[in-house]
Amino acid sequence: MSKEVVKIFFLPLFVILIIFPVLALVINLSMEGIMATMADPFFWNSVKNTLIAALLAAGLALAVAVGFAYYHLFYRDSIVYKIANLFNDLPIALPHTVAGLALLLAFGRKNCGFLGETGAAFTLFAVILAMFFVSYSLAARTLVSGVNQMEPEVIDVARTLGDHPGKVYFRIVLPLMGEALFSGFVLGFSRSLSEFAAVIMFGGNMPGRTQVLASYVFTKVETGDLDMAVTAAVFCVALSLLIVSVLSFRRRSYAAS
Amino acid sequence: MLQAKGITKKYGGQIVLQNASLEINNEIKALIGINGSGKSTFLKIIAGIVSADQGDVLLNNCNIIKLPPESRNVGYVPQHPALFQHLTVKENILYGMRNGKGTIETYNQIVEMLDLKEVLTKSPRTLSGGFQSRASLARALVPQPKILLMDEPLSSMDVVLKERILPDFRRVLKKLEIPVLYVTHDPWEAELLADNFAIMDNGQISQVDTSTEAFELIRTSMARGRSF
Repeated sequence: MSKEVVKIFFLPLFVILIIFPVLALVINLSMEGIMATMADPFFWNSVKNTLIAALLAAGLALAVAVGFAYYHLFYRDSIVYKIANLFNDLPIALPHTVAGLALLLAFGRKNCGFLGETGAAFTLFAVILAMFFVSYSLAARTLVSGVNQMEPEVIDVARTLGDHPGKVYFRIVLPLMGEALFSGFVLGFSRSLSEFAAVIMFGGNMPGRTQVLASYVFTKVETGDLDMAVTAAVFCVALSLLIVSVLSFRRRSYAAS
Repeated sequence: MLQAKGITKKYGGQIVLQNASLEINNEIKALIGINGSGKSTFLKIIAGIVSADQGDVLLNNCNIIKLPPESRNVGYVPQHPALFQHLTVKENILYGMRNGKGTIETYNQIVEMLDLKEVLTKSPRTLSGGFQSRASLARALVPQPKILLMDEPLSSMDVVLKERILPDFRRVLKKLEIPVLYVTHDPWEAELLADNFAIMDNGQISQVDTSTEAFELIRTSMARGRSF
């Protein structure tokens, strides 16, 4: 009986709140909008910026997450781990405009004036840092989950065979965590793709320079080019679906192996 | 020779080991106790995987209690074979040599003795339970440890396979003349492998003469409702 109640509530809510908004985008696609967007160099530039920045941000997030998972595995009682763990969830709870402002103050003109007139702010590098700030915790959580699934005896044996913690981590733990590493990277990448607030606060929204897909859509809505905004939005949906499908396919492959 | 003296360990408020002491000379010693009696914790303290609250571990008269596992020169065969799945069987067995432990001559000798030649190039996940246990033992033996610690390595195997594999293990271990601490809850398994026996009772260790005596003591203790 309770199963049926869940079914009755789940399907309509899922269709109305998830499927319908995505369909609304696709339904509103127009040929004029598609043609205009495809011909707009700023659109392609924002695609390029998004992909480059998200890839680098996800790579950076994964590298830092590898460090966090190392502390989680070997030094869970250390003060470094406890502080890092506390800060890990901060980007999830923090409004991303606040994250953007924090980055602006930390790496802007005031502290990093030697980098240029605006410090690191309003550059593609700033976009990467903003994306990293919001995607790191996802990558870290994924790697920690991978570490927790490791058989502890594997690590114990490697230690008695002469490996210190650093060697065990790179020779045994990381090679056995392929799925977690891949998932951490893809989740970090997809979270980076979708970031808007922190990016616009710290990286700005300069067409051709720091504009990304999310801010391109925002600009087109703001200037009244709704057809172009819809086209860019559908492009984002397709990109996201592609990433989710790749992730799902890889998970199935790992499960099968 | 290994001497563990006055080992005490608490988890939270619960005492797991209380002044536990054991001496192992050039022999295969079985430490028998029921599940949860603290025998694996004792073994892991000797290996350096778990730290003791009190006590000393002397290996050839050198106190190793403060050393990390990688500096203790002990071999460890855990409950599950715990083979490195991303490496071949050969790479698993040779793993200690990456850290300068063991020689290729020892490797050849142990592979020969444990009948592992035919599976060397295979992935561990393709091996049967028996071969996995053999590979796990070989990996621990190649670095020529000063003592071998075995934590119920055959617990997941059926009796028929155990009956076949334990005499093989005993033959290899006796030939290599390596002191062994074999932890088990099964007196029959201990009888097949060990030279002498000890039991773990209420966090303390006492020497017994035969596995039958160990079995009787365990049964009596359980009947009295003691933790063992």
